[in-house]
Amino acid sequence: MSNPFTQPPTAEQRAAADNFMNSCAFKSVFSGIAGYGIGAVFGLVLSGIEFSSPVDTSASTKQQIKTVFKDMGKKSVSSAKNFAIMAAIYSGSECMIESYRARNDIYNSIAAGCVTGGTLAVRTGPRGMAMGCAGFAAFSAGIDWYMHKDD
Amino acid sequence: MFGGVFGGGSSKPAQPMPGTMPPGQVQMDPNAQLAAAEQEMEMVTDMFARLNDLCYKKCLIQRYNDEELTKAESVCADRCVAKYFQVNREVSDKLAKMSAAKQ
Repeated sequence: MSNPFTQPPTAEQRAAADNFMNSCAFKSVFSGIAGYGIGAVFGLVLSGIEFSSPVDTSASTKQQIKTVFKDMGKKSVSSAKNFAIMAAIYSGSECMIESYRARNDIYNSIAAGCVTGGTLAVRTGPRGMAMGCAGFAAFSAGIDWYMHKDD
Repeated sequence: MFGGVFGGGSSKPAQPMPGTMPPGQVQMDPNAQLAAAEQEMEMVTDMFARLNDLCYKKCLIQRYNDEELTKAESVCADRCVAKYFQVNREVSDKLAKMSAAKQ
């Protein structure tokens, strides 16, 4: 098989790469990774603000620092995971809804927000899912309106 | 729109797909071949121009803050072209049947 990196990309290869970059799966994964990063930073900041469990003051300073950092790390990773899942679901569902409707308006964001909120609240039963759907849909509608209000 | 095909000299029973020769065409004399090729070229150009116009009007959003086509627009363009060709095929089949029935 010839080495694909010796020649500049042909028009066909560029089109295929473009197709891949614009596919819903890639967008969803990419948003998940970006969400993980943002969630990590957010979790780190939040762990500093929030009241953490009391530290064992009898241990040495080094031990105490290690415990605190471990706790911050755990909170940050947990927040990162939540953000990643939320972002992936939102991005994937919005992309799929947009490709299905073949329209580009605010209803894609509302529907994607409802799907995300409902999926994240699956454990709390149908009423919880409805509330999650409504809440997240309103939130994402607001964000989308703000981002596109000057178009 | 199809007046040129059926009202013209050569009696092609069905409209050929763009870029292909009509089926069952044996070696004609070069003049007729040239005329047929010209007519097909004209047809294809006309079809392309209409297709472009139609799908542009139907699919492209008039918001120009970004040069990239959104996913909605590219999906819409794909579907528009597919539908256009499908309708083209069905209409030409029907016309072929009607003209065959008349004869």
